[in-house]
Amino acid sequence: MKRFDCLELLVPLIKDEIVVTSGSGQRVEWGHLSQHEGNLFIGSLGIALGVGLGLAIGLPKRKTIVLEADGSLLLSLFNLPTLANQNPANLVVIVFDNQAYSGSNISHPTATAGKTDLEMTAKGTGIGSAITVRDTAAFKREVTSALRKTGLRFIVAKVEETVDHRKMSRPNVDLLENKYRFVRYLERTEGKAIFPNERSEGQKSIE
Amino acid sequence: MKDNVAQRLVSALKESGIDFLTYLPETRLSEMIPLVRADSDFKVVPTTSEAEAVSIAAGAALSGHQAAVYMEGTGVYVSAYSLISVCARFGVPMLLLVSYVGSFADKKNSSAFSHYGRAAKLLEALGIEYQVVSRAENLEEQIGDATRAMNSLKLPVALFFTGEFTL
Repeated sequence: MKRFDCLELLVPLIKDEIVVTSGSGQRVEWGHLSQHEGNLFIGSLGIALGVGLGLAIGLPKRKTIVLEADGSLLLSLFNLPTLANQNPANLVVIVFDNQAYSGSNISHPTATAGKTDLEMTAKGTGIGSAITVRDTAAFKREVTSALRKTGLRFIVAKVEETVDHRKMSRPNVDLLENKYRFVRYLERTEGKAIFPNERSEGQKSIE
Repeated sequence: MKDNVAQRLVSALKESGIDFLTYLPETRLSEMIPLVRADSDFKVVPTTSEAEAVSIAAGAALSGHQAAVYMEGTGVYVSAYSLISVCARFGVPMLLLVSYVGSFADKKNSSAFSHYGRAAKLLEALGIEYQVVSRAENLEEQIGDATRAMNSLKLPVALFFTGEFTL
């Protein structure tokens, strides 16, 4: 199973969900495939799951999807116990596990190429819904279910290592511009200010 | 921190619009935690790492909440990567409430904390504004100023609590 094929399956399923991506090859591939204004591209490893958790808690009526990677998740395993205990019913975490640090020019194996199992790791922290999928049919089935139903979902998608993202053009908006596009999208669709007006005493009005 | 100071701190946060708090507990300011947890105006998220506390607060800030992170001074070291990767890089406002362990006026300072008083220097390197607060007399004004500054800058702003707050 290739990550790009999974992301292609995911694109038409996205309506008004928020999508947060970690800084790995999937950020490039998702940016190539999706122009959704609700995309928040995180340009660093180990950050996306925490930011996505904060968004999901902050907007409990909105479905949030976090696209993570094995290397990124391994850098921030401390997120998992908090995720389990917060248990946001509107959060879907998809971890593309290619068992490699493939963002580097020369790939190196991650811990999941050895003895580490991310589904079992997640379950051990209390995320009972954690599941591993190994083919695109199972991926589509689990993701479709996760988007339709409520409840925290944690899907580890075992994918083969691909380096196609190295040849793809990067998203044509930088991270700061993407943040503002994302924020304006939320303001428009949520009907509320994200950043308060610093000149307003009540700090509640939109800029 | 004395109970009446803790109450004033929490009231000042509320008055300035803070409604979302992530934290990892520590020794100097921990009296504030039961107060915010008992107040339904705050969404409170306990975490396992200050790095995570900053990332979660960033997500909350991008969802329209006024976010604060409460941590020990050592947490500045732990969260530096999150602060630079998402907050400074993206421009995300949040208030860092930091107990300034190991600082000159830390009344519980000891050899265990002797090297941690450099956390403010680290924030300077990250380009994050901060103020050291050692007396409670102007607490409400300083919380209000810090909150206004973080929203004006769209960046994290830190208050380092020492002196009277470490009694």
